[in-house]
Amino acid sequence: MAKAKMLTGCRASAEGAKAAEVEVICSFPIRPYTAIMMELAKMVANGELNAEFIHGEGEHAQLSVVLGACAAGARAFTGSSGVGVTYAMEIYSPMAGGRYPAQMAIADRTLDPPGDFGSEHTDAMCTRDNGWLLGWACSPQEVYDNTLIAYRVGEDHRVMLPQMVCQDGYFISHIPDKVVLGEQSQVKEFLPPYRPISPLSLTHPVSHGPQIRPDQGAPMDAQRAQTFLAVPKVIEEATADFGRIFGRNYDPFVEQYKLADAEIAFFIMGAHANTARAAVDRLRKQGVKVGMARLRWVRPWPTHQLAAALGHVKAIGVVETSTSYGGAMRGGNLIHELRASLYDLDDRPLVTSFMGGLGGETIWPADFDHMAKVLTQAVKEKKVRNYVQWLGM
Amino acid sequence: MQAFDYKYQQLEPVKSFKRVPGPEMYVPGHRTCAGCGPALNYRLVAKAAGKDTIFIGPTGCMYVANASYLCTPYAVSWIHAQITNAGAVASGIEAAFKVAMRKGRHAGPFPNIIVMAGDGGSVDIGLQAMSGMMYRNHKVLFICYDNESYANTGIQTSPMTPYGANTTFTPPGKEIPEGKTLFPKNAPQLVIGGHPAVKYVATTTIAHPLDLMNKVRKALSQPGPTFLHMLCPCPKGWKFDEKMTREMARLAVETGMWSLYEWENGTYNYTNVPKKYKPVNEYMQHQGRFAHLKPEHIAKMQAFVDEKIKAVQRPIPVAAAVPGKQ
Repeated sequence: MAKAKMLTGCRASAEGAKAAEVEVICSFPIRPYTAIMMELAKMVANGELNAEFIHGEGEHAQLSVVLGACAAGARAFTGSSGVGVTYAMEIYSPMAGGRYPAQMAIADRTLDPPGDFGSEHTDAMCTRDNGWLLGWACSPQEVYDNTLIAYRVGEDHRVMLPQMVCQDGYFISHIPDKVVLGEQSQVKEFLPPYRPISPLSLTHPVSHGPQIRPDQGAPMDAQRAQTFLAVPKVIEEATADFGRIFGRNYDPFVEQYKLADAEIAFFIMGAHANTARAAVDRLRKQGVKVGMARLRWVRPWPTHQLAAALGHVKAIGVVETSTSYGGAMRGGNLIHELRASLYDLDDRPLVTSFMGGLGGETIWPADFDHMAKVLTQAVKEKKVRNYVQWLGM
Repeated sequence: MQAFDYKYQQLEPVKSFKRVPGPEMYVPGHRTCAGCGPALNYRLVAKAAGKDTIFIGPTGCMYVANASYLCTPYAVSWIHAQITNAGAVASGIEAAFKVAMRKGRHAGPFPNIIVMAGDGGSVDIGLQAMSGMMYRNHKVLFICYDNESYANTGIQTSPMTPYGANTTFTPPGKEIPEGKTLFPKNAPQLVIGGHPAVKYVATTTIAHPLDLMNKVRKALSQPGPTFLHMLCPCPKGWKFDEKMTREMARLAVETGMWSLYEWENGTYNYTNVPKKYKPVNEYMQHQGRFAHLKPEHIAKMQAFVDEKIKAVQRPIPVAAAVPGKQ
């Protein structure tokens, strides 16, 4: 096996795209994801990657360029952060509806105002209902791996959907960590070339995206919903294959850390899971029966897998790194879907949430101690006192 | 970048109507209004471009009234773009074919990649994407089929709507008697003035079909981005008798409301210049959108046109320097 290199998440993302031999790349600068494009620009300039590198005039154009490229049969790659992600909002739906399996790398950043470079998941979470596959990594290695896994899943003919491969800005995107890059033979075995379905062609004329009548809309929506039911199996296959070929094994949907005998658990995604793991170890030494569940895919949301992983726990603290102002639980996004996922259990865990890491704040080990205390108290009182509380204030 | 032969098509001019290519690439299946200028225009463009063509159709009349599911009128490949992003989608398609040819997946010829955008999709909400495509030197022909309004949504003003027009967003009233108070953008000048990669820009109308087809063929034979501005009268939006569509375009040229020209590597070549221009009212009087105007408003339009046609006698030098003629 190749030796590990110290790479940032951005570099790992670019290496993943290079390994996937992406053919059309569209860039626009915004921190912190920019470094991904800087790396790819060098690879194209040096002749390491046979691709068209296009300077989009904004994120809306970035998405539009890769949509066109994908429709014409190319494997396409783009990316963004923060308000860049939301500037492109119009194009997410046509991209998914047109079944163009291009990939977007996201290094999460807060939305304005005020201007803040810090990491926060709200940017990509805003797009979650537009029909993309949406997954989060918690290390540069996982960024590299998810880049390949997402292409394999998205381009599968049972799926044909665009993918977002997200990483927390700075915490992952700019802090080097050990990354083992795949051998060309491994990548070749894992990721077949993109096989477009009815691409724009001179020999077989096709029409992409004509107008439909209102009565044709629901069947198409239903077909997409049906596709999403089939995606989990494809993700499972791809993740298992990835483990077999590359020797790195992931739980396809939920990393389960010391959950088996846990009474309380943190439910989290992204970079802060690394702190959570350390906190679990330390709290365990103090006799607290705590575990962690880390979400790897937000779309498709792993409803049953979460019920299976967390159903036995008595109280769950959702660590929210995105906002849902005025939402049912008055805090972030994840708690809504987690509570819904557990609703049909006979013996439901208590679920509360903690707003943390907003604006790029660090979630400290002491914050996890506090969360464990709140959860232990909830178990004792058999109820949660709040839907949400804000950490560090 | 290493040189690579992308096998760009070279389309010879069509000498006469008898030699116009037979095959139709814009075929029955659309449901445009009777007398639709843009539909007539589409047919001529598609015929001139031929089978090795891909159309990008941003939202507009030529999307909404043309491209119905399972019944599109295109005999060549076509893709919808948002009204905002035709230039960018075209850029991606062009890039994909370049890579496909370098990797040997597509043997050639390189497709004629044509954007068919309305005036809004070109120089209003679509301006950014069009400009980006042209700046980046993609081999794409961007056509603005100009029917002078957002027509399919019910005739709202666009930046190409003429002064004095009654649209549903510029209704004449007591306070604003002339309806639209602004004068339109100059679409070709937006392209010419700011895009060094563009070497060929031309204007034409559906009343000049041979001229139109040859400008399409000439534009498609260029190695880089090109722009055609085509006047496509709209009976519904301009409120004229639908059998007068071609007549409207002809009168636009005869009154100086519209000029036919080519701009090639920095040089203007005007054609169909009338010996004596007719008064603008000979054009305006047929159109219900101008019916509310008073003589002073028509005089204001005449003054605007008089100023504009001075450029026909003395072409304006281009603002941006144009490096070496080909």
